[in-house]
Amino acid sequence: MSEEYIVEMRHITKRFPGIVANDDVSIQIKKGEIYALLGENGAGKSTLMSMLFGMYEPDEGEIYVKGKKVKITSPNYATKLNIGMVHQHFKLVSNYTITENIIMGMEPVKKILGMFPSVDIKKANEEIRKLSEEYGLEVEPTQVIEKVNVSIRQRVEILKMLYRQAEILIFDEPTAVLTPQEIEFLLQIIRNLRDSGKTIILITHKLEEIKQVADRCAILNHGKIVDILDVASTSTKKMANLMVGREVSFSVEKAEPKFGEVILDVKDISVHNQDRFEVVKHVSFQVHRGEIFAIAGVSGNGQVELADAVAGLMKVSGGTITLKGRDITHESIRRRTEMGISYIPEDRQEYGLLLDFTLKENLAMKSYYKEPFSGKNGILKRDEFEKYGKRLIEEYDIRSGQGTVTQVRSMSGGNQQKAIIAREIELQSDLMIFVQPTRGLDIGAIENIHKQIIAERDKGKAILLISLELDEIMSCADTIGVIYNGAIDKIAPADTLSTSQVGEFMMGVKHK
Amino acid sequence: MKKLLVKILGNEKTQFIAIPVFSILISLIVGMAVIGLLGKYPATAYINLLQGSGLMPKPSYSAYQGMLTDFTSFLNMLTPMLFAALSVAVAMKAGLFNIGVSGQMLAAGFIATVTVGYSALPSAAAKPLVILVGIIVGMLVGGLVGFLKYRFNINEVVSTIMVNYIVQYLTSFFINTRYMDQISRQSKAISGASRLTLMDVPMAGLQVDLPLCVILAVLAAVLIRFFLDRTSVGFEIKAVGANRNAASYAGINVGKTMVLSMMISGALAGLAGVTYYLGYLQSIQPKVLASTGFDAIAVALLGNNNPVGIIFSSFLITAVTKGSSYMSSASGIDPEIASVITGLILLFSACSAFIRYQVGKWKTELEEAERRNADVNNNH
Repeated sequence: MSEEYIVEMRHITKRFPGIVANDDVSIQIKKGEIYALLGENGAGKSTLMSMLFGMYEPDEGEIYVKGKKVKITSPNYATKLNIGMVHQHFKLVSNYTITENIIMGMEPVKKILGMFPSVDIKKANEEIRKLSEEYGLEVEPTQVIEKVNVSIRQRVEILKMLYRQAEILIFDEPTAVLTPQEIEFLLQIIRNLRDSGKTIILITHKLEEIKQVADRCAILNHGKIVDILDVASTSTKKMANLMVGREVSFSVEKAEPKFGEVILDVKDISVHNQDRFEVVKHVSFQVHRGEIFAIAGVSGNGQVELADAVAGLMKVSGGTITLKGRDITHESIRRRTEMGISYIPEDRQEYGLLLDFTLKENLAMKSYYKEPFSGKNGILKRDEFEKYGKRLIEEYDIRSGQGTVTQVRSMSGGNQQKAIIAREIELQSDLMIFVQPTRGLDIGAIENIHKQIIAERDKGKAILLISLELDEIMSCADTIGVIYNGAIDKIAPADTLSTSQVGEFMMGVKHK
Repeated sequence: MKKLLVKILGNEKTQFIAIPVFSILISLIVGMAVIGLLGKYPATAYINLLQGSGLMPKPSYSAYQGMLTDFTSFLNMLTPMLFAALSVAVAMKAGLFNIGVSGQMLAAGFIATVTVGYSALPSAAAKPLVILVGIIVGMLVGGLVGFLKYRFNINEVVSTIMVNYIVQYLTSFFINTRYMDQISRQSKAISGASRLTLMDVPMAGLQVDLPLCVILAVLAAVLIRFFLDRTSVGFEIKAVGANRNAASYAGINVGKTMVLSMMISGALAGLAGVTYYLGYLQSIQPKVLASTGFDAIAVALLGNNNPVGIIFSSFLITAVTKGSSYMSSASGIDPEIASVITGLILLFSACSAFIRYQVGKWKTELEEAERRNADVNNNH
């Protein structure tokens, strides 16, 4: 019976301290199909595939590849079994060429003068070019990695697998960093791969992609298989409901905006990063009271640096930032917070939270030094922390194991984000900066955060929303600015732009 | 076995004390095995250690000596260790590794020796002055390291080691050229009035050495704990230590906080210096750094950088070190074995994170099994 399945995972259970990541999971994958693993963050998709790729070993259960029972102890062994994986974070050497990255570890060798072994780079380039053409990957083998964009880097990762004769290709959230056009292209590549006989496993939480390419789909929830479906005969809606475990609505309800006076006025600012590279170039825009100003753009085009510059985490090298008519260009971070800036940073674990501190300490992380948390003598009032923590946990529905004294590290990503948003809303700032507020969160949490953003707007806050998710921009924004290569070339009311237009601007295609 | 361990160590609320005690017990048991291999009685050796530290009575004492004599002399050794470990801990809380406690001790000890130790000041003025000089010198040296880190981003591990050398050679230069006692080959002894330990005080028919600053050291531990846990500046230091990016995001001035915590760390090292060179000892040996400053790193780790934990860990480590010479003379075990035991204690304490992880894993497994059993029972 195992003949027809190229991969079988039977009764897999994997535990980590405190959680069961996979609980008696069984999947069977046919040769030549696109098999999707769908589930919210933390549902156990990546863990399951990490076991197939040899990064973890299951506590219980068996894995069969091509009908044979195997014990995959390392990624190297998985490669020998013709299994390849494209990770969410690419593993490439940035100052090597595409070919060099691909052949690393298994270089074709020639002998100069019949005795000195050396890498036959010409032959390798030729091989890579051929491989690239065969699957329609469109990469130039001699280009250096740091000079090419994310989409091409991802294709290099795919080539790496193909070069190692992978038959079973695992993609871990491959579209998270791509623009709509690039996603289309990738999905086509995936179809090509299938048509040439490869087996594809796609880990994702994006339903449309599954609908577009996948043949079958397993839905995971809390480490368990909820259902295994034939994609063609199932509606997106049904898949979403199964994944979340309840009814979800896709659209964001939003009243007409009422713009007030200008809150944030950014004039001609430029920012240089640590390598003295100009990452934000002469950017100007205004955000009004009651407006959601969204900045769309592909990752790495300067949007995070722009947000950091407004919040004071990065110095500007030119231009002025004005908040409510006062120049804040050279104010400290604390001063800006006090003058009315809330900031939900992109990297919530590295910037937004002190992971080893308790929840209540994190909730008061920006106001611990003043009344009511500290007296004039600088002594902290513990009961105030406790009271405040309890109130916010209640009001913002922050779930945690041990209430106010939970270590934030132990909380789920969604609840960590809830804590940050609660803290920042409670600052009652006039300007709120949201960067990637829903990154890595599940559908339920995303819905909730969008509602909160709009509610804050309706209270008369000015909102600066920076996101890589075009859907998020399109459903929340009142005004859209598109950032490309550090410059904002297009600013327009949201209702005058279509998704594909914004996508084109994100790619740097300029219209007259 | 698993069940028992999970029961003892599994409770998260008591883990902070249960796991260190558990690892110390394990290391003492392994230490017993080592002593056993040498063909000696392990229990006797441990009793000797305690006797040498004045924590248990010896079978016989010479004239004017008693358990109290040993104990106060133990406290005399404990005082600088406690200060030094607190110094390491404060820096560690701010995410800085102060490996230069010994150098800061020497700088403070040397300056206090030549300014106050060689003066003719009366006791009432000299002793507080020694403490004050110790604090100020230590604070300046620590502050310098913090400033280098803040202004030029010089790694504090490098700069403290460099400062160690500079202090070591500068002080020996001055001692060799100006303050040398030709007989002892050390710096000249300081005046009795400025020494922080009262020597040969008659008490209960015995003669004991009274370290005046041991109370100050315990007080400092309590104070530092309060400072770190209950003040907003302490909150800032811990935030910077936990994550500099997040701290700066929260509006904390990271550079200022690092300089401040190095100044506090240096001040505590200065206190360790004066209680060591002008208390436990009365002179300075040129070109030698006190090992206290390095042992303190281990003591701080054993105490989990918790000031109150450090009181206990410095007590334990000092007891083993202090008792080793008596153990050696009483049961013929080389005093180096005491270092082996200290090493074992540190080794096993360093494993505490692993122990916690393993216990956590076992706990999940047991709960899992229990749940399954319950399921089976329900189905019947």
